[in-house]
Amino acid sequence: MNLNRLAWRNLWRRKRRTMITGFSVAFGVMLAVTFTGAGDYFYTRMIDAGASMGMGHVTIEAVDYHRAPSLKKRLQHVESLREKALQLPQVSDVMTRITGQAMFASASKSVGGMFIAVDPAQENSENNLFIRSIIEGSMLSSPEGRNIIVGSKLAQKLHLRMGKKVVYTTTDVHGEIVSAIARVSGIFETGISEVDGAMAMLPIHSVQKVLGYQVDEATLLGIILKDQRFSKSMRDKLAAMPLYSKAEVLSWQQSQPELAGMIAVDKSSNYISQLLIGLLVAAGILNTMLMSVLERTREFGVMMAVGMAPGALFRLIMLESFWLAVIGLIAGIIITIPWYIYMANTGIDLSGAYGDDFNFAGVLLDPVMKIRLFQESIVAILLGLFTLALAAGAYPAWRAGRIPPVESLKTI
Amino acid sequence: MTDQNNKHDTHSPLNAAVQHPIVRLSDVCKTYEQGKVRVNAVHDVSLDIQHGDFAALCGPSGSGKTSLLNLIGGLDVSSSGTVIVDGIDLATIDGSELSEVRKNRIGFVFQSYNLIPVMTAYENAAFVLNLQGVDETECRDRVMATLKAVGLEGLEKRRPDEMSGGQQQRVAIARAIVTEPAIVLADEPTANVDSHTAESLLDLMEQLNRQQGVTFLFSTHDQHVMDRARRIIQMHDGKVASDHAQAG
Repeated sequence: MNLNRLAWRNLWRRKRRTMITGFSVAFGVMLAVTFTGAGDYFYTRMIDAGASMGMGHVTIEAVDYHRAPSLKKRLQHVESLREKALQLPQVSDVMTRITGQAMFASASKSVGGMFIAVDPAQENSENNLFIRSIIEGSMLSSPEGRNIIVGSKLAQKLHLRMGKKVVYTTTDVHGEIVSAIARVSGIFETGISEVDGAMAMLPIHSVQKVLGYQVDEATLLGIILKDQRFSKSMRDKLAAMPLYSKAEVLSWQQSQPELAGMIAVDKSSNYISQLLIGLLVAAGILNTMLMSVLERTREFGVMMAVGMAPGALFRLIMLESFWLAVIGLIAGIIITIPWYIYMANTGIDLSGAYGDDFNFAGVLLDPVMKIRLFQESIVAILLGLFTLALAAGAYPAWRAGRIPPVESLKTI
Repeated sequence: MTDQNNKHDTHSPLNAAVQHPIVRLSDVCKTYEQGKVRVNAVHDVSLDIQHGDFAALCGPSGSGKTSLLNLIGGLDVSSSGTVIVDGIDLATIDGSELSEVRKNRIGFVFQSYNLIPVMTAYENAAFVLNLQGVDETECRDRVMATLKAVGLEGLEKRRPDEMSGGQQQRVAIARAIVTEPAIVLADEPTANVDSHTAESLLDLMEQLNRQQGVTFLFSTHDQHVMDRARRIIQMHDGKVASDHAQAG
C-alpha cells in the first residue's frame, strides 16, 4: 500500500474529527472569499466611481497641473491625443474635460464651487457619475449653449430651480476674471454632500470660449479602462509614448491620492482579518494532526521498528494534512459557490445602517454590499489556505519522526 | 523461499562453527537514567545467535529480556559493548542505515500484535515489502505464499478488528518473515493469547524454523513456551545467567 492510500485511510479513522476540521477549512474558504470578494468589489466600485467623477482611471493633463491647478495650464491638440489613446486595447473611453473653480451666483446668493466642462457626445452614464445621478431635467445635449447642470445642494443654496439663470465667474487663460450666464437644465444628486453642494457641469465649447481656450484645448483627458487594475501599467505605457511627452500622465492613485491611501489602509486591515482566518484554520488542522499523531505514537513506533524511515513517516503525516486540506478546500468550494452567486448578484443592502450619504474618501459608494473575486484572488485564497494547512501539518509530522521507536513502543 | 532455506539451513553445530553468527553481542551494557537512579537493564552481556536458532530469552519481568531484544533489533543503542547483526556493527551506522537494517535483516513480532488497523491482513503483511520497494507481482506472490504458510489463506482482506488475537499474531508473524530476514525477534509473542492459540503459534514458529530455516529469538517467561525452545538463554538482573541447548 502506498503512502497516499494509507494517509487517506488514516484520515477516516476518526470521521467526525476529520469532518469538523474539513468544515473549519471550508468555512475559512467561505470567509476568505467573502472578505476578499467584498474588497475586490468594493475597491473596484470606489475606483470606478472615483474615475467617473472626472479624472478617469488614468489622467492626461498639462504638466504640473496636478500639483498647482490653474486654468492657464492646458493640454493642446486634445483631439489627436484622445484618438491615439482610444486605439489602445485596454482603453474603454476617453473624455475631454475642463475642470476648474468658479463662483456661482443666482439672483439671491453666491456660492464658491467647481465646474466640469464636458462634451456630451463623449459622456455617458458609465463614465460620468453626474449623468447617472441626474434627478431632474436631462443631460446637456450639445457642447455649445448656455445650459448648466448643478448639484442638488448647490441648487438649494442658490435657491435654483429648473430654467433659472446662474452666473458663473472664473479666471481665463490670461488670469483675468470672466463671467458667463447659464440656465439650469438639470439637477444631479450623487449622495455626496461635498459634491452635490459645490459641483456643476457645463458644455465644453461654451467654457472654452469663456476661458479663451482653442477648440482643441482642455485641462485634461480622462481615460476609462476596461479593468482598473491596469491603471499603473497603462500610465507607464502612455507616459513612454512620444505623443504624450509634453503632458503629464497620472494613474488614479496619483490623481486621487486620498482615495488610494484610504484603500491601502482598508486593504491592510482586510489582509489582517484574512491572516487571522488563515491562522484559525491552521490552528484547527494543527490540533487535529497533533492529536492524531499523539494517539498513534505506538503505531509509528511499530512502523519505524519494521523499517520505515523517519522521512517516510514525515511524508505520511504531511500527506494526511494534504488530504485534509483538499477535503476542506473542496467542501469550501461547494458551500461557497451558492453563497458567492447570491452575494455577487443580490448582495446585502446596508443602506439602513449607513444612510443615504454613503461615501468613502469623497467617493460615492453603493450601499448594497456585494462580492466579486478576481481570478488572482481565487488562486491566492486557495493557495494561501492550502499552504497554511500544510504548514500546520509540518510540526506534527516532524514530531512523529523524532520519537525513537523504542520510546514509541512503550506508549500504550 | 528456496534461497532462504539454503541460507538458513544451518542447524548443525558444524555449520554454526564455520559461519559467522547472525547476532554477536560482546560486553553489551545498557544503562537507563530513571530520575536520579541509574538502572542497568543489560549488564555485560556477550552471546551469539546462530543461523537457524530457535532460542528463548527467559527470565522474570525486569530481567532485561525486552531491553536486549531492543538492542539486537536496533531499536535502542547500547551504552557500551558491540552489537553485530548479520555482520553489521549497529554502533557504527546512523539512523537511516539502522532503518535499512531493520527493514531488510530483522523481523519483529510484538506482544500485542501491533498491526496497522486501517490495513487488511494482506496489506499488513506486505507493508515491509512495500517499504523495500518490491514490485507488485513479486510482493503479491510472496505475501500470498506467506499468509498460506501461517494458515491465513482466505483471510487476506480482513482488517485486524475482524480477526481473533491468534489470527492477528499470525499476520504479525507473516509480516516479520515475508521479507526473509536474517532473524525474527519476538517479544513475548504468546503473552496475549489463550493457551490453545499460543500452542498453535509456537507450532507455526517452530515449523517455519525447521522447514524454512527462519532464525527466531523470542522473549518469554512462560515455562510452556520455554519448553518448546531448543536453546534457553536465562536472564537475571540484566545478565545472562545461563545459556544452554535443550531438546525442542
